[in-house]
Amino acid sequence: MQRRDFLETIGAGFGMYGLAGLLQGATTSSNPLAVRAPHFPAKAKRIIYLFLNGGPSQVDTFDPKPMLTKYHGKPMPSGTLKTERKTGNLMRSPFEFKHYGKSGIEVSEIFPKLGGVIDEFSVIRSMYTDRPNHEPSLLLLNSGDKLPGRPSMGSWLTYGLGSENQNLPGYVVLCPGLPVLGHQNWASNFLPAVYQGTYIPMAEKDPKKLIQYIRNSSLSPEKQRKELDLLEAINRHHMAKEGQDSQLEATIQSAEIAFRMQAEAPDAFDITKEPEAVRARYGDSDFGRGCLIARRLAERGVRMVQLYHGNFQPWDSHDDIELHRPLADQSDGAIAALIQDLKASGLLDETIVLVGGEFGRTPVVEVGGLVKVQNGRDHNNHGFSYLVAGGGFKRGTVYGSTDEFGFAAQENKVHIHDLHATVLNQLGLDHTKLTYRHSGRDYRLTDVAGNVVRGVIA
Amino acid sequence: MLAKNCYGCHTQAAMGGFRMDTREALMKGGKSGVAVVEGKPAESLMVAAINQTNERLKMPPSGKLAQADIDLITAWVKDGAVFPEKLMQSAPAASDLELTPEQKAFWSFRPVQKQTPPVVRNAQWVRSPIDRFILARIEKEGLKPAHTADRRTLLRRATYDLTGLPPTPEETKIFMEDRSAGAWEKVIDRLLASSQYGERWARYWLDIARYADDKLNSTVDEPYPNAFRYRNWVIGAFNRDLPYNQFVKAQIAGDLMPSQDPNQFAAGTGFFALSPEMQDERVDALTRGFLGLTVACAQCHDHKFDPIPTKDFYSLQGIMNSSELHETPLAGELIVKAWTAQKKELDLVEKRTKEFYDNQARVLGEVLAAQAARYLMAAQGVDDAKDLDVETLERWKKYLVSDRLYHPFLNPFRALVIAKAQPAELWKEARRFQELVLAVNDEKKLVDEQNKVILGLDPTRKDLSQTQLNAMDRDRTVLWRDLFERSISDAGGAFRYGAGVMYYGKGAIERFLTGQWKSYVEEQKKLEEAKRKALPEKYPFLQTMSEKEKPADMKVYVRGDRNNLGDVAPRRFLAILSSKERAAFHQGSGRLQLAEAIADPQNPLTARVIVNRVWQQHFGRGIVATPSNFGQLGERPTHPELLDYLAADFVINGWSLKKLHKSILMSATYGLAVENIEANLTKDPDNHLFWRANRRRVDAETLRDSLLFASGEIDLKPADMPAKLDDDKNLKRTVYGFIGRRKLDGMLALFDFPNPQATTESRMSTLVPPQRLFLMNSPFMEQRAIALAKRLSGSQDEKVKQAYRILYCREPDLDELKLALQFLADADWAQYARVLLGSNEFLFVN
Repeated sequence: MQRRDFLETIGAGFGMYGLAGLLQGATTSSNPLAVRAPHFPAKAKRIIYLFLNGGPSQVDTFDPKPMLTKYHGKPMPSGTLKTERKTGNLMRSPFEFKHYGKSGIEVSEIFPKLGGVIDEFSVIRSMYTDRPNHEPSLLLLNSGDKLPGRPSMGSWLTYGLGSENQNLPGYVVLCPGLPVLGHQNWASNFLPAVYQGTYIPMAEKDPKKLIQYIRNSSLSPEKQRKELDLLEAINRHHMAKEGQDSQLEATIQSAEIAFRMQAEAPDAFDITKEPEAVRARYGDSDFGRGCLIARRLAERGVRMVQLYHGNFQPWDSHDDIELHRPLADQSDGAIAALIQDLKASGLLDETIVLVGGEFGRTPVVEVGGLVKVQNGRDHNNHGFSYLVAGGGFKRGTVYGSTDEFGFAAQENKVHIHDLHATVLNQLGLDHTKLTYRHSGRDYRLTDVAGNVVRGVIA
Repeated sequence: MLAKNCYGCHTQAAMGGFRMDTREALMKGGKSGVAVVEGKPAESLMVAAINQTNERLKMPPSGKLAQADIDLITAWVKDGAVFPEKLMQSAPAASDLELTPEQKAFWSFRPVQKQTPPVVRNAQWVRSPIDRFILARIEKEGLKPAHTADRRTLLRRATYDLTGLPPTPEETKIFMEDRSAGAWEKVIDRLLASSQYGERWARYWLDIARYADDKLNSTVDEPYPNAFRYRNWVIGAFNRDLPYNQFVKAQIAGDLMPSQDPNQFAAGTGFFALSPEMQDERVDALTRGFLGLTVACAQCHDHKFDPIPTKDFYSLQGIMNSSELHETPLAGELIVKAWTAQKKELDLVEKRTKEFYDNQARVLGEVLAAQAARYLMAAQGVDDAKDLDVETLERWKKYLVSDRLYHPFLNPFRALVIAKAQPAELWKEARRFQELVLAVNDEKKLVDEQNKVILGLDPTRKDLSQTQLNAMDRDRTVLWRDLFERSISDAGGAFRYGAGVMYYGKGAIERFLTGQWKSYVEEQKKLEEAKRKALPEKYPFLQTMSEKEKPADMKVYVRGDRNNLGDVAPRRFLAILSSKERAAFHQGSGRLQLAEAIADPQNPLTARVIVNRVWQQHFGRGIVATPSNFGQLGERPTHPELLDYLAADFVINGWSLKKLHKSILMSATYGLAVENIEANLTKDPDNHLFWRANRRRVDAETLRDSLLFASGEIDLKPADMPAKLDDDKNLKRTVYGFIGRRKLDGMLALFDFPNPQATTESRMSTLVPPQRLFLMNSPFMEQRAIALAKRLSGSQDEKVKQAYRILYCREPDLDELKLALQFLADADWAQYARVLLGSNEFLFVN
């Protein structure tokens, strides 16, 4: 594809480039990551997506169901819905729920610190999705389609809005190890590769090693500066002979930006720059460190940070729901600290914090032959909970509900497409207009569905 | 009329928020407002839209309806838009589409016409028939062609175009000095004859074939060890100029093509055999790749813009589903048989050994469990630990103070220890615990036996997940796991449990085995080892397609829903590309018949699509700018007559790609310079008329290859098994490197290499800072810069000159020499080399 066509495609659906939004480094509209104006004034500028991969159980975390205790061990009266594996009778939550904050929203005892900041959240208790399997559900959550091949949400956002900080990637993905499906979760697929998520392996502690090629180990900055000065002189000389050309100009610009990136990027990932007391609040876990890095990236204008809880799918408690307790331990303090810090700095107003997994779990016990301990829950696409704070979302609110046992979303149902439409809306994007022409048709994150959920917007 | 023209978009899909399949919806309208005002056509937006008088809405997008039809609809609105009850249903998705004359007359479905090159004013400029088509348009639009590029630029352009590498200084010198009339033709012939040609042009095809070396759906790298055979088959096909019609047929049905060498064409079916799993996009790759048609759009509904009914999609999908993956051995039958037999033997021995270990571990667990009380007491120093196993005692000590006891059974004992209870009390509790452990173990055995009966032999994973098995209660299971289970992790992988306190498996249990047991296990191990060593590497094989035993037609999935089956879709070719009497395919799956239909010279698309792809790679833009979409939503050809001329010529020339390349490269059009002509730029800024050459950034593999080439390190020998591209020692051309579907190489991704999960028609060409980080900081660049610096010899001036000749095919001017010497005053040559290797003149081809 010719560069010009490419830029036209990028511009499609926007009318014009957002010239007002040009920030440091984004010198020309030929930069595919230049800041672009949203479709309408935005409430939020960025998003931090805390992905509790594996599928946390709603009835053990954010959706209390006293009826489960009452009917513990009895069959679900209306019959169970189809999930991936064979399930049995209703099973009560081993955890107690408590009222938290001014809103009095009930949260499971395994999330006491998150309970402490629950007044900042809209708790959506009526999420649902299409498949009870990890792979299609992960893809749906990340790209709006059950099959691989569509761009991820972060790719759409950087494509739609550009990046506010040209010295950092616009879309960063943090994970200790890799979630199920790995890099496919943040692929840009048919969107230009520049929009794919930059994967940072959280297991790597040295911030200089986190970003590809961020540092030249055998060259001092002064010497490198000299190289770049020579490069610019040679390139200018070349262009003087060749005549004006936007491509040649763009590479000259990008060298300058790259030079600055080297200084800024490692600093953003270096949490040793945070006081000991701050680090302690986030906790000494991969997830805790990840939340702290997410905050530092948000402060520097990164459009989307997605943090996966852990390698593979930690929240997939088929056998024993008791395992939700140590998992909550690893994330509870970190989420609370992140919310508190964003609020204190005022960033929460313009930063969406999304918390949830690829689906929920059944209120009935899993009994399929694949489990060894019959104390866990199967995947459940029919109903689950999501938490969302900041970015113009309502505070201290519960939206929607599941049935009396917590199996299926019932009131004010919110599909993944609706969630995507709402997030895009808060970022100033009309989900029906954020499109890209590929393989003969216009694609969008929400496919041919999605409605903005007005009930969770302040 | 509405159903035929509008329902494609305005029923289920509700485009523009507008449905037309009920009267209520029709009245309500969509996002643009009320559509129909009863009795008032003048006020009805829909009427304005179909008259195409509305400023924005001009419907249908495929073209204005016939006036008679518009009049009918207008009259109908005037009469109150009565909606008969029986029409209140949506149009069925699986209808047999009636093809209209307009649809058949769409440019790309019309037969290829033999074209006479037009007359031009400036006939002197013309060097080939191609030029007449190009110049005629340029003249018609009042533009003028750019100057002819200088010889250096031409050589560099052609060498990159045909081989993906720069010319050497020697090649440059020869061409610059060869003033004979045939000099240019000589260059083209030399480049087309080099094996680097196939490596370059195969890679373009591999984009379309979404080639990769590994399995997608996996958490670890799972390379396909024989995938390269398809890659090398494609390279070979280009190099020996396999006629394109055969190239096409081989990839669809090579296993079914008659041939002296049974594998000559079968390897081509790697096109499908190496498809990404999880998503079935074979029809998409097939139709976009070979035909430039987006048939996959018709998977859930009739194609909204092209005459492709849903049924046609399932006709093709039925052919695919009647075929299956196959391993075609490349070794003799005896070798295959021997290997298979040997592998089976090894499997048996391994199974036997494993069962032995499992049994011994179980028995030992029971033996140790019968002494659990003594271990508990010995851990407190109360028992003398005589005859107890030291390691087991250590394990018990650790377990008793663990903070991860997720069962209550040891709580009483631990409480007594904390309370410093009397030995007698402790002994009593320890014995009670021991009894419990034995009982739990007995219960587990019983449950396992029951479950074996429930499951029968060898259940599949699906059976397992759907079967309710017996289980102990949660706490007892946790206890059993902690004491007797081998090392496991929970389902989500979040928590890992070490081996049970009393579990000793292979490698740990041996010290408990004595006498006959000991000699038996040692013997088994030796046997297993010997068999493993004796087993040779698996024989080579091709990943191919083959026919299923029972080919079958599919039923249409109504709206793409596999639970909602519609009409049978007979296995046959697309309606729009078939004659009125469209025969069903009955030879096996129908793949060979499909291949023949696609490669048929009468097929209006196949030749047009490939000549356009070739044109696109040479000029940076196709005559049709959407090379995999020749449908309504694709671009129209800028030079339709030229496209037909090339396509017809191509078929006459025996579908020879090399002849096609040569005819293009011999044209004056190909030889134009990159020149800014203001008057032209105003009228045709995107160079749709090919009045000049397009400057292009080199693509990912060209960049890597030419860096290696310039540094003198490249290893031009072809490779079989792919090496990772980030491997320091890998100096082969990029086309031979490992292409990961799970994770693409970092450098490839950075420079816009396409995602190998879907067929790709053209590369992006981004220019972003992370690319510069690679050029500034990567070890790969550092190594190339050092090697290039070492290649240079002589005086300072001479070295600079050599570098310019190698990289840019020219001498440096005085300013450039001065810049170099200033820089080198306090920098080393490797630094200088890195700057030149990362310069625009090296990154772009004019």
